[in-house]
Amino acid sequence: MAKWGMVFDLRRCIGCNACTVACKQENSLPYGVFFTKTLSEEVGAYPNTTRTYIPTICNHCEDAPCQRVCPTGATYTRADGIVLVDGDKCIGCGSCVVACPYDQRTLLEPEMLTRGLFRNGELTPFEQQGYKRFTAGTATKCTFCHERVDAGLQPACVATCPTEARIFGDLDDPDSKVRRLIQEHRGRQPMPEKNTNPKVFYID
Amino acid sequence: MLSTHFKIVDDDFRVGFRFQKAWGTSMATAFFFGEAGAGLYFVAQFFDFALGMIAGLLMVMLGKGGGHLLHLGRPSRGWRAFTKIGSSWISRGLLAISVFTVFGTLHVFDLHTGLLPQAASWLVAAVAIAACLTIMVYQGFAMSHSSSIALWSTGLMPLASLTYALLNGVVLTLVLGFHAALFADRPETVQLLRIAAVALVLYGVVTILSLLHGAKYGSEGGQESVRLLLRGAFRNWFLALVIGLGFGVSALMMAFAPEGYAVMIAAAGAELTGYYAFRVLMFRAATYDPVMSFAPHFRR
Repeated sequence: MAKWGMVFDLRRCIGCNACTVACKQENSLPYGVFFTKTLSEEVGAYPNTTRTYIPTICNHCEDAPCQRVCPTGATYTRADGIVLVDGDKCIGCGSCVVACPYDQRTLLEPEMLTRGLFRNGELTPFEQQGYKRFTAGTATKCTFCHERVDAGLQPACVATCPTEARIFGDLDDPDSKVRRLIQEHRGRQPMPEKNTNPKVFYID
Repeated sequence: MLSTHFKIVDDDFRVGFRFQKAWGTSMATAFFFGEAGAGLYFVAQFFDFALGMIAGLLMVMLGKGGGHLLHLGRPSRGWRAFTKIGSSWISRGLLAISVFTVFGTLHVFDLHTGLLPQAASWLVAAVAIAACLTIMVYQGFAMSHSSSIALWSTGLMPLASLTYALLNGVVLTLVLGFHAALFADRPETVQLLRIAAVALVLYGVVTILSLLHGAKYGSEGGQESVRLLLRGAFRNWFLALVIGLGFGVSALMMAFAPEGYAVMIAAAGAELTGYYAFRVLMFRAATYDPVMSFAPHFRR
């Protein structure tokens, strides 16, 4: 069984946020909800300044704090390492949201699913079709596009990235590209001090 | 020389501090009633003070239960929270509330009717007080379990919960018991409770300051939270309500004001206002660490 993970190559990311848009489209995300974001940061002091880009996503942690604190078992980890939320079990207590050190979870307020992209209370056909997957009042997050992965495809953000700054693959396979990149470039996990063992790595 | 200075960025696509927004006023209200009610029941049971026990039970059942129901996104599924007692403090808390409601009510009923045999009566009282103690501390554990928020992620949080719960219990007992037989029969109790209140205030101040100290030197997010509380947007609320009114005014009144019902109500009001402000501000000032804090390597 594969253990899915992702590598962000910070040398390649240009901060275009095509990944963000592809994710919103693939997952029919409501207004204000993002499963992935590419953040920018201005570093330095004038005149020696630069801007860096940091893609962020749910890290599908090996020891996921969101899963640990969930009082209903709604958050679970599949055998392939993808952490998911069962919308039928979630009670919307928000404990997973406050437990995630990476701030990668969102509580779906009911109005998020009714107000519409144009904020006029009317849902477009795209929204009507896409919002069926969500349950109002529950937590949601990145799924690593598990339906696509199950079908042998790459997650939408990875498939869209124009610079191949996002690489997806099997962390358990020593010959996989992600594994090779992590080893060659000493890939770093975000916030290792939180002891969550993320399956997302950063290289530069 | 390159440097990085993080700011609060809210939902912007920038690296910086983000507020937690999942737990807000309804959760703070539930926490408030939980610790105030359980604390009142705990102190009242110590004195077999039925009115205090009933009030404590009602505060937990209606105030805490209501606050949680208002907070939940899917309240009709709330029963599901019983299923992960092995790992979730929310589950453990729900179990404690349920046990406390049943056994606390049974104990109060037994106190009036003498229905149960003595062994069973003691057992019921013991289970009720154990569940009550759990409610007094579990909220602190639920918060300290969140390593994501440095302001909460400290072993002092359960201690702060326990201290506040006991303090709330003492001041509420002083108010509710003032005209009751409790103090008429044992007038020395008032003095004892007033000294206990002052001692708990002192202990509470040290606990809260230690909590802030730990957060400040814990991480960048903790440092930002402490800055917000002591010098930033929440400064006036925190210093005036939590420290000034909640601890300062209530302790001075308990220590020096002449005995009187109005004094007790004023002191309890000051303390409870400070405590509620503490609960709200702990949620409002909670920030996540900036995502870049993981890799100083990348900041060069």
